[in-house]
Amino acid sequence: MIRRVAIVGYAQSHHQHNMQETREDMVFEVCKEALHHAGILREDLDTVVTASTDFLDGRTISSVFLSMAVGAFLKDESKVEEDGTFALYYALMKILTGTHDVALVEAHTQGSTFNPHQITFYTLDPLFDRQIGVLNDIAAAALQARMYMNRYSVSEEHLAMAAVKNITNAAENPCAHRKMPNVSVEEVMGSKVFYDPIRELMMSPISDGACALILASEERAKEITDKPVWIEGVGSCQDPYLRDRNIQNLDSLQMAARTAYKMAGVKEPFSELDVAEVSEKFAHEELMIYEALGLCQEGQGKNLIKRGTTRRDGEMPVNPSGGALGADPICATGLIRVIEAAKQIRGEAGGYQVPGVHRALAHGQFGICAQKNTVFILGGNGS
Amino acid sequence: MKSKSEIVEVKALPFAAGFNWSTGFQMQRFIQELANRKILGAKCPECGYTYVPPRSRCGKCYTKIGEENLINLSGKGTLVGYTTAYVKLDGQGNFQDLEEPGIIGAIKLENADSTIFMPLEGIKPRDVTEGLKVEVQWREETKGELADIRCFKPT
Repeated sequence: MIRRVAIVGYAQSHHQHNMQETREDMVFEVCKEALHHAGILREDLDTVVTASTDFLDGRTISSVFLSMAVGAFLKDESKVEEDGTFALYYALMKILTGTHDVALVEAHTQGSTFNPHQITFYTLDPLFDRQIGVLNDIAAAALQARMYMNRYSVSEEHLAMAAVKNITNAAENPCAHRKMPNVSVEEVMGSKVFYDPIRELMMSPISDGACALILASEERAKEITDKPVWIEGVGSCQDPYLRDRNIQNLDSLQMAARTAYKMAGVKEPFSELDVAEVSEKFAHEELMIYEALGLCQEGQGKNLIKRGTTRRDGEMPVNPSGGALGADPICATGLIRVIEAAKQIRGEAGGYQVPGVHRALAHGQFGICAQKNTVFILGGNGS
Repeated sequence: MKSKSEIVEVKALPFAAGFNWSTGFQMQRFIQELANRKILGAKCPECGYTYVPPRSRCGKCYTKIGEENLINLSGKGTLVGYTTAYVKLDGQGNFQDLEEPGIIGAIKLENADSTIFMPLEGIKPRDVTEGLKVEVQWREETKGELADIRCFKPT
């Protein structure tokens, strides 16, 4: 990269269903806390980038009333649609151009506003798939899961094991939504089936939540903190529309990861990464993500979960925070993964800290069957 | 404490959005030809990828796909994926349990590359397998509407 850029502060809400705080208060609190965490003032911000989606916010120009909350009053501010990692990518570019030095990135969704699964129906082709009327994100995920499972002999137990790992991890994370420390494979497999094989506990919960992160150029980062978390690599890619892609593979995630690895100089992700925080909206996606990220060979994701490799105390911990199955305030979920990865590098993850994290991966996604993916590689001072 | 919706209840968008989308001639022809019990695809003249429903430009190689590239598909195909639905969304954000579970099939039609997602009938969920040969079922009177395609069934 032409300029080094670091994460220097962050905050997130206590994600939950049916939060009583207004959207503006929720966003204000995380932005204030992120500035406090970085030890800087609102006046130090050059630019602000937010992420949300009009349909999910239930209003058009969904950033209305948020300029105060994000500290952007009479400042350079813009909003990107969908996941917070896309906003982070944009903020990174603003700093790389040299026109800005300090950026605040914010993302949020209050999923309790309106059932977000219903909203996914409105992301389908209006002239055909919406008219046929059988699909939504869960139905499509179920089709994807079955195709993947048939192809690689993956069982429902493997999916349940991925859910148990993440939901159990979430119990140690004070910001996570699902609190089920004793959840078992049997309980996951006995939970309500929506679209076979997808059951309630294999789906991310519908959460209200927000997060904010402060990004700074090298010069400013070094003034702000002695523990900057450097962005070493980034990659983003999207798949074609559902009808014209192989949904049993996450091709765009694989390409995003390759770009990010190349930029960061990562050749062997399994041995060079200390932890990964990924956006698995459904249990089977976690296994597919392992493969797309090159943490194992194609079709071998089930072995990582079976052997406990990706547990918090395993060789390659994935989602020690609980991931999206622990909390999913939709547009915030990817940016929360970045924050969780940064926390691991700075040793701030408390009860779910993985020892000795120097380099971490964070992944954000958006769209039916993880159509669009962004991967960040983060590193501490020593990496 | 009052629930959020008791304080300010907004039941719907404040307008009925009957969106007036342009469909393009390919989609128009596709829908019209359903009246004749024909399913049209669009075969890219450059790379050969065949879209169903048809599209005006190839998403793989960016070549323009013209009217002369529309081809008739047989309505027969292969099941490449499936799920059994136990719920449906009612359009208002509520999940409703289905009295009778329904099957959704991911289908590749003969000579097409796109996958279409359709209701599958005439088979029990436990008997469904990948690779099953399926065929379109037309409604009794076809009118040139998407509803002319009732579902797919095993051949």
